[in-house]
Amino acid sequence: MFERFAGEARQVALKAHSVAAGLGSSSVEAEHLLVSLAGTQHPAGEALREVGLEPEELHDAIQRDFERVLAQVGIDAGGLEVSANCRRTKLRWGASAKRGLERALEEAKRRGDRRIGPEHILLGVLRAENGTVPRILAAEGIDRDELTGRL
Amino acid sequence: MTSAPTDLAHPEDPADGLAAVVALRRLADRMEDAQVERALRDGWTWAQVAEALGVTRQAVHKKHARRLRDV
Repeated sequence: MFERFAGEARQVALKAHSVAAGLGSSSVEAEHLLVSLAGTQHPAGEALREVGLEPEELHDAIQRDFERVLAQVGIDAGGLEVSANCRRTKLRWGASAKRGLERALEEAKRRGDRRIGPEHILLGVLRAENGTVPRILAAEGIDRDELTGRL
Repeated sequence: MTSAPTDLAHPEDPADGLAAVVALRRLADRMEDAQVERALRDGWTWAQVAEALGVTRQAVHKKHARRLRDV
């Protein structure tokens, strides 16, 4: 899949991997792509920061979402620390991230762009209807159409 | 009146229930990482850890040996 991703887009994918590892995740997911995008100097990163989605804020939002979802089934996961040894070095690509990258390819095609850039990854990730990313956007009060309109 | 425990375990909205399944898997992963590390620090062998987890020694070693090689 990654042969179609060059330059900045590839950097976004690589950074997402380290974001996921830092969070103690065993897979790279769409929300990690979002954190990675928010940290880039690319306009896609600026668009995220302009609506208040700084990398740190997204980090916290992912943890809050995890705790909120578990609280709904009566489990208190607050304060669960991730030890340094829990940070795996080799992570698999989760379905949500793969789906987001597939949609990035579709977005690039739809727009007639030959190169896949961070903006396409953001558009791809934002298309998800279910999962962590749409829940976080809703919790943060983000208007998805308004955000995509900035790209 | 407080709701019955079954209400907590069975959210009405499938989106909440499915999200909880994903989060529980992640929680189990994190717990496994932490508890395997702790057991090894306490002097457990890989074979003992595997037996306690109900998996083969090969499986637990493959999953954790690399990240815990310094433990």
